[in-house]
Amino acid sequence: MSAAPTDRTALRWAVLLILLAIASAGAGIGAELPPLSHRLNVLAEPAPAPPLRLKDIDEVDHDLADLRGRLVLVNFWATWCPPCRREMPSMERLYQELRDRGLTVLAVDVGEDADTIFAFTGQLDPAPTFPLLLDPDAQAAADWGVKGLPTSFVVDPEGRVILRAVGGTEFDDPAAIEQLLPYLPAP
Amino acid sequence: MPIAIPPHRPRRPARSFPVVAVLLPALALTAPAALAEPTRVDPETGALTWETQAHGVSLSLTQLLPDQVRAFYLNRGFAPDDAERFALACVSMTVLRNDAAPGELSFRLADWEVRQTDQALALPSLDAWLSEWEARGVPQSARLAFRWAQFPPEQSYAPGEWNQGMLATGLPPATRFELIARWTVAGQTYEGRLADVRCAD
Repeated sequence: MSAAPTDRTALRWAVLLILLAIASAGAGIGAELPPLSHRLNVLAEPAPAPPLRLKDIDEVDHDLADLRGRLVLVNFWATWCPPCRREMPSMERLYQELRDRGLTVLAVDVGEDADTIFAFTGQLDPAPTFPLLLDPDAQAAADWGVKGLPTSFVVDPEGRVILRAVGGTEFDDPAAIEQLLPYLPAP
Repeated sequence: MPIAIPPHRPRRPARSFPVVAVLLPALALTAPAALAEPTRVDPETGALTWETQAHGVSLSLTQLLPDQVRAFYLNRGFAPDDAERFALACVSMTVLRNDAAPGELSFRLADWEVRQTDQALALPSLDAWLSEWEARGVPQSARLAFRWAQFPPEQSYAPGEWNQGMLATGLPPATRFELIARWTVAGQTYEGRLADVRCAD
């Protein structure tokens, strides 16, 4: 039997402090990181995006196929992954800047549970407001050919993968935004 | 019955590509080994970092202290004995970045080698570690965390792309070694070397 939403939220807050300490073990391992990238890699041959149908941390279903007509940033990540942690605030800033023009962000956590993710996002500024999807068995990551975290893809309004970013990226860098604007309608 | 990963497995040419494997070091465009002294020392932990740039690619190894590795895996569902096994396997945080190579690079860790006292050793493979964890009864969720925390066994980076992950040589603590990393760009093999790297202890 699943807990009611209010109970689930209370439970998440209850474990937040404990998980903060656990998460810090992964953060400490990531000292002395290289700089984040500021551009995405243009794929020479855009290909249809693999299927992506997952639940988010609130158990809401999401299907990439329902997002035709929008530009979608699909990000594979995990809370213990230092560059994933560093790039996530930039994804939220990008989302805030471009969502009204047609950008959707789907962040797919690989192999962790909702409580762990909730504890992590509570530390972020700005905290993500885009959907945080669960890929508990890493099947989606495998379907998308992900080899390491973080890896991100941009899917155009026709459902084709057009850009890729392997490694941590500053998604709201002007150079990165410049690459996305041609796929969005003018404001 | 645990599947042991030999810590000093001598490197053998791959059966299906014996000529390539033998000639690979000779054909590769090599770069001078990095200075023996570490590039950085973490002021908090004392962990050492070695770094080199070669052919538009940067490579670094940062010691992960056994306490760090132990804590990371205990927090992800490893039993103490299993976390200890990996904590003492000479684990480094490895970063490879395509800064300005003349195209997309591809690498396979199976092509990398560790040299220690004139002996060339292969890196323990991810599959071997995963088999060992399964045999030791490490939970599936913990094995999944382990898999994704490792430096990828193979990957391709366009210019500007990079990644990082844990890399274990399997050598005993405090051992000194040289790491030879290899990658290809448009069919040409390149090498980067880090000399006199020290396993944390």
